[in-house]
Amino acid sequence: MMNDFANFLQFSSWPPRPDWLFWASLTMVAAGVLGEFVNRRLGLPRVVGYSVVGMVLAALGHGIFANGALDARLRLVVDLALALLLFEMGSRVNLRWLRNNKALLGASAAEAVASFGIVGVGLMLLGVAPLIAFSCAVLTMASSAAVVGRVGAELRAAGQVSERMLALTSLNTIYGVLAHKLLLGWLALDQKGDWLEAVAQPLYAFIGSIIVAALLARLTANLMRRLDLRNENSVLMLLGLVLVALSVARVLNLSTLLVPLLAGMILRNTTERPWVWPRHFGTAGGVLVLMLFVAVGSAWTLDALAMGAVLALALLLLRLVAKALALTGMARLSGIDARQGIALAVCLSPVSGTMLVLFSEVQLHHPQVAATLAPVILSTIALMELVGPIAVQWGLRLAGEHHPETTVKEAAKK
Amino acid sequence: MSLEPFAISKPLTMGVELELQIVNRHDYDLMPGSKDLLRVMKGETVPGDVTPEITDSMIELCTNVCTNYEQVLEQLTVTRDALVRSADRLNLGLSGGGTHPYQHWSKQRIFDKPRFQEISSLYGYLSKQFTVFGQHVHIGCEGPDHALRLLHGLSRFIPHLIALSASSPYVQGNDTGFHSARLNSVFAFPLSGRAPFVLTWDDFLVFFEKMTHTGVVKSMKDFYWDIRPKPEYGTIEVRVLDTPLTIEKASALAALIQCLARWISHDKPFALHEDDYLPYTFNRFQACRFGLEGTFVDPKSGEHRSLREDLNVTLHALEPHAVALKAEPALRYVREEMRWQGNDATWARGVVEKEQLLNELVRQQCERWAGRPVGTAR
Repeated sequence: MMNDFANFLQFSSWPPRPDWLFWASLTMVAAGVLGEFVNRRLGLPRVVGYSVVGMVLAALGHGIFANGALDARLRLVVDLALALLLFEMGSRVNLRWLRNNKALLGASAAEAVASFGIVGVGLMLLGVAPLIAFSCAVLTMASSAAVVGRVGAELRAAGQVSERMLALTSLNTIYGVLAHKLLLGWLALDQKGDWLEAVAQPLYAFIGSIIVAALLARLTANLMRRLDLRNENSVLMLLGLVLVALSVARVLNLSTLLVPLLAGMILRNTTERPWVWPRHFGTAGGVLVLMLFVAVGSAWTLDALAMGAVLALALLLLRLVAKALALTGMARLSGIDARQGIALAVCLSPVSGTMLVLFSEVQLHHPQVAATLAPVILSTIALMELVGPIAVQWGLRLAGEHHPETTVKEAAKK
Repeated sequence: MSLEPFAISKPLTMGVELELQIVNRHDYDLMPGSKDLLRVMKGETVPGDVTPEITDSMIELCTNVCTNYEQVLEQLTVTRDALVRSADRLNLGLSGGGTHPYQHWSKQRIFDKPRFQEISSLYGYLSKQFTVFGQHVHIGCEGPDHALRLLHGLSRFIPHLIALSASSPYVQGNDTGFHSARLNSVFAFPLSGRAPFVLTWDDFLVFFEKMTHTGVVKSMKDFYWDIRPKPEYGTIEVRVLDTPLTIEKASALAALIQCLARWISHDKPFALHEDDYLPYTFNRFQACRFGLEGTFVDPKSGEHRSLREDLNVTLHALEPHAVALKAEPALRYVREEMRWQGNDATWARGVVEKEQLLNELVRQQCERWAGRPVGTAR
């Protein structure tokens, strides 16, 4: 009877089977609702809610690492959303600032080197094999552009710590990608004895990325000179351009992280005119960013957590200590106080999407190494997925730079 | 509470205070940075002082007591260069201009100083709207009675000074149609406007006693008059100027006021009378709204002419005094400015006409303040 009725209404199957679109949409709604909930009830950044949805998905066995390797469709979402956030972040890095304040460049280098050294050596002292220890150190060099960019924008933070966390994250992402390419080269040399791959690959990826980035920056500047980017349609075109550049990067096997980041930086630094566009390129980009947090939130497995959680915790602590030492050490010289230095270190502590992308490339080329790395790396992501956004919020609060509106309300209460 | 005695100051000396905007280098919106700037400025020695202001995206600088135009310009150059150097280290921009063209005042934070907290709790949203930026010029007076006579004499030229200094055509993203929209914010305060027409310090003390008796004011600081006596320094303080976009213009305006003060003190070109204030608010409005093209009603003859015409006549009369005060370059600057663009508000409208982007206007303002070429905004 029901079957006849379903046939009559031309259902494709009975009982009705919701397809992936249904589940994806439902995930989006759930993430949106939970994001709003944690924001209103707990006063936390909305992304915490998105990540929780991802974690629940993973717990139900639908995480992006459920099959042991990064799901290709979800990797696309991660790439696209990260590209937007990196482009946005790059477009705020003013190279003239680094020229005017060399100590800031010094702080950036110190922070990245200290993080690499202390994490690498620290893990070795904890009994991790050197190769694995330094691979972890390379993969955790970059701070999470997604968390830093997104939470900063959501809190409408403004001040030295907010400015510097964007600049330093952009820089340590560049160092991180370069170090990662060198790591891949070293692994190739180590395992296959292939000199050409070890040297030519990183070189190609780096130079190619710069060229594509420069082209994207040029096109964007041309587009923006003619169109008002506060207009929704123009923003969609800009979004399209970034995504086209990203697909080109993927096809040519260039760095999907470097291309948008460098394009943003080139755009910022080759033209004086201030560029203004809605954050995350408006609603369309906002959806991608939401999906990014859900996807990265789901990048954990129970097995990995059981095996790697302790080591991951040690890694994150070592990394935080390294950053805090370097940044408070350079604070006075670079024009901030010690409190702002600590706040900055805390704001740079998140790791997430960037590391996931870098890890998945190790997985692609060197599955055995990746298998050893997986427990620590996935646990690090899992631990930081919830703590990261809260850390950034806390750091900005410590620096007195978060959410002007709240400050006004608090002032009214006094 | 009684008023403190009027201090002794050297007649016709001057001091300049400038309130500046602190903006970010990304989209050029106002940005909290005064604490950081003051911290970095500790390593610099400047003539005068640099102090925090009501919100932490504002900073104030002042000169020491100066005797002539050249000295003001010299001191402002040293302080400006030190400030710009510090701002560069922090990726901040500094800009003149009476208002920020598109900032949203509800987002501004108040610098935590008790007096500012007090103002903020008393005036509510007005204190936020008071995120406006002015230039104050102090003129030394030989005594309190001289100060009051000078104050009422200078009042005739308040519209001229408004029209010349106007640099706030945009407020919260809109062209207000005014040359100085900043003053509209100032006029909202209950005790703004002009000082009462009293010509002796004894009479002024009587007025001040009566006002404190009403409980409305506690100190001179509660008066937001266009010109007010500052007994503490022994000066009168002209407060109607928008912060100009360059230190050259700020210095020239200060010197112009110094010349006016000398003319009024030495030549007594017109008798002071309460009735001179009859067209005062009309003239002031015309200056705010239309700049130099505004109508000026001569308080003595009732004749109507443009502010530009009246200013030309006045500049002619000031020439011997400019020679005596070594202020000729300043008056030349003012004449040049009148010929070229009138005021910074007109320049700003020209930039927006061409660039169609208020953010780009603020960027160019920052470059002009820093004394750098504006650069091509391709």
